[in-house]
Amino acid sequence: MKEIRYIVKDKLGIHARPAGLLVKQTSKFNSKIMIKKDTKEIDAKSILGVMSLGVRCGEEILVTFEGTDEAVASETIRDFFINYL
Amino acid sequence: MKKTWIEKLGLGKEKNIIILSPLEGVSCPISEVSDPTFSEKILGEGIAIQPTKGEVVSPVDGTVAIMFETKHAVSIISEQGTEILIHVGLDTINLRGEFFKAFVKANDKVKAGDLLLQFDMDKILNAGYDVITPIVICNTNKYLDITTYTGKSVKKLDQIMVLKNKDRL
Repeated sequence: MKEIRYIVKDKLGIHARPAGLLVKQTSKFNSKIMIKKDTKEIDAKSILGVMSLGVRCGEEILVTFEGTDEAVASETIRDFFINYL
Repeated sequence: MKKTWIEKLGLGKEKNIIILSPLEGVSCPISEVSDPTFSEKILGEGIAIQPTKGEVVSPVDGTVAIMFETKHAVSIISEQGTEILIHVGLDTINLRGEFFKAFVKANDKVKAGDLLLQFDMDKILNAGYDVITPIVICNTNKYLDITTYTGKSVKKLDQIMVLKNKDRL
């Protein structure tokens, strides 16, 4: 299992556009990918799931990866966060 | 329609799901919306409505999944499991809720036609934003095919999309 903790820097948080782009990335991997904010945890391959977290600028998320491609998945998603969020 | 024995047992599902218009206006292809998030179908397949009135009603019977904090967008999950996002205008998140009024919140049960949002079209346009409203099926991959009815004047609850279910059995 791999884990990433990330604090969102984008002023608008994770709204529709980055949610869609994020899911486009997570859907490429066969690993189970979950995102947790406080006590709420959702499937990172679900657009509605990601948007429902309502992650705002300055909030921290925990992303977990479990599966055969968890290493490349976690690196790809970390890069995505750095570049887009 | 005559129900098969499968449907009577509650195992089958409707072959086609009809999505009704949540707004009054003119329907157009989502590929013509000038925001690639929608035109490139990153969030899913759908349709766009150029509104003529600042009101959004529920297009289906279902539950409110998300009422965005900034009230410019709302998501509904229908009773048949269709995930629908209605996003009023482009980049309107930047208005931070100004000119929008929400009438429902997450987890509210709604019926087709229930008022979800009101928005002041003139003020949004004067602030420099496009009010075109994409309606997106966020779980597009659940469906075999999505047909849209574009290039027409629509009233609220007019048919705008037909989703074809993947055959189960």
